[in-house]
Amino acid sequence: MSGSRLPGQDQRPAVTFTFAGRPVVARAGDSIAMALWAAGERELRRSSGEGRPRGVYCNMGVCFDCLVVVDGVTVRGCTTTVQDGMRVERGGRP
Amino acid sequence: MSEARVLHAEVGIVGAGPGGLAAAVELVRQGLSVLVLDEGQQPGGQIFRQLPPGAAALPGQEPPSHQAGHGLLAAATEHAVPVHHGATVWNVAPGRLWFEQHGQSWLLCCRHLVLATGAFDRCVPFPGWTLPGVTTAGALQVMVRGYGVVPGRRALVVGSGPLLLPTVATLHQAGVEVVAALEASSRWRALRALPAVLTNAARRREALWYARSLLRAGVRLRWGWTVFACEGDGRVQRAVIGKVDAEGNPRRGSERRLEVDVVGAGFGLVPSIELGQLLGCRTRYDAPRGGHCLEVDGQQGTSVAGVYAVGEACGVGGAEVAMAEGRLAAAAIVAAVRQTPIDAALRTRVAAERRAADAMLRAFAPLPGLHRLATDDTLVCRCEDVPLARARAAAALHGDSLRAIKVGCRAGMGPCQGRICGSSLQALATGRCDVVPDLPVAQVPGKPVRSATIVDAPEPPATA
Repeated sequence: MSGSRLPGQDQRPAVTFTFAGRPVVARAGDSIAMALWAAGERELRRSSGEGRPRGVYCNMGVCFDCLVVVDGVTVRGCTTTVQDGMRVERGGRP
Repeated sequence: MSEARVLHAEVGIVGAGPGGLAAAVELVRQGLSVLVLDEGQQPGGQIFRQLPPGAAALPGQEPPSHQAGHGLLAAATEHAVPVHHGATVWNVAPGRLWFEQHGQSWLLCCRHLVLATGAFDRCVPFPGWTLPGVTTAGALQVMVRGYGVVPGRRALVVGSGPLLLPTVATLHQAGVEVVAALEASSRWRALRALPAVLTNAARRREALWYARSLLRAGVRLRWGWTVFACEGDGRVQRAVIGKVDAEGNPRRGSERRLEVDVVGAGFGLVPSIELGQLLGCRTRYDAPRGGHCLEVDGQQGTSVAGVYAVGEACGVGGAEVAMAEGRLAAAAIVAAVRQTPIDAALRTRVAAERRAADAMLRAFAPLPGLHRLATDDTLVCRCEDVPLARARAAAALHGDSLRAIKVGCRAGMGPCQGRICGSSLQALATGRCDVVPDLPVAQVPGKPVRSATIVDAPEPPATA
């Protein structure tokens, strides 16, 4: 696992969601992309042409490389806030 | 049904960064009704990113410029500036902003528009730049300062321009070891920024703060170096770095390998001007300011009546410029509504801040030779997986224009709509590294939104 949180007291409530079927514990206010990065996940989808791993690139809603699927809808992982019970799958083409 | 999703304000502002917020605070103070639309979850934009409430704070001190950010955010709270967060504006017309928020389609009707849409990192493709763990420099700033997430253990920071230093400082504060910080410009070229830094008190303080912060971190900025490639199995594990000449051309043979688990690359910024383009605002090309910018008059007015632009959208300049321009745009709108004169000091301030910013950015104008980092199989378009060789073939077959290259190989036709590849695609495909790139065509939707958002788009009321 690489990636973690800043040291110090985090007073936000825990939020649990699943990514590719596995449970991930996040903090309220996390984006999907950042919750996954903190959990050590780097690959959020496979690229459209050659099927290569892709992950967070711009982290500000511009590049659309961190696309994931939430309840059947393709969204940007970096601009979508995690919710308790969310089911997140790796993204493909929008 | 759609009637409930139409909002009204005298002034609609896109972007809650320093420019948009400064304009909003001033307008609210003058008694005008304002609504700010912002894609982020909290006010402040990219430069004044805030952690979510309750998150553990970033240890250590802040750079002096962030004081201005705290002041601005406090003023926005004090004046109860209304901001709609998580709002993606996808279409625009004079006095109309269509946006998607939490999966719903909304329309904001207003008399005046302020575009404070900011900028994003300039990307230079190099082998391995699509590997997970390789991000923009801005992405790492957002990660740490916006979410309290530690990017990794060993980081490489590469690129060019004044934003490399804050990236290094932030990573160090977060406890990340910065194994190398590489500035592609030569020390001598960068020295041209020195007069601009020394003659502006705020910039002098800021530069000193970063110099001390790098010293404390034990990181030495290497001038005339950059990343040649990133490697790894499914994620970045190694980086190949090397020297570049004064034009940015890689010096083969100077390579060294570093073990890293995260790489942040930022070769300056590119202004976000798509909404201005959709409105038909006149643009101009200014390489040091990041490329194509919205043209504004001495009151931040664009070529379209009732549409103002502030901050990076009119050319990269930083937060001080954006705040000064935001206040000037607000004063111009108040003057238009009330037939009052504009305080001349506001214009003087904008001119002074722009002068200082331009002088600094000229020393870090994009280096054309960096486009020679990409090899035949390096992807030039991340969305459509287009390798350099295919983009070259498209240019050879269809022509050198951005449009011809796009049509020929689909580069720039994916969901990012050419934002990431647009600044480098033509230089890469034509091999003419110093070409002035064509203005990318902006299309509706300005950003991809759900088809239901477009189908359900509220109609403007007939009377407004």
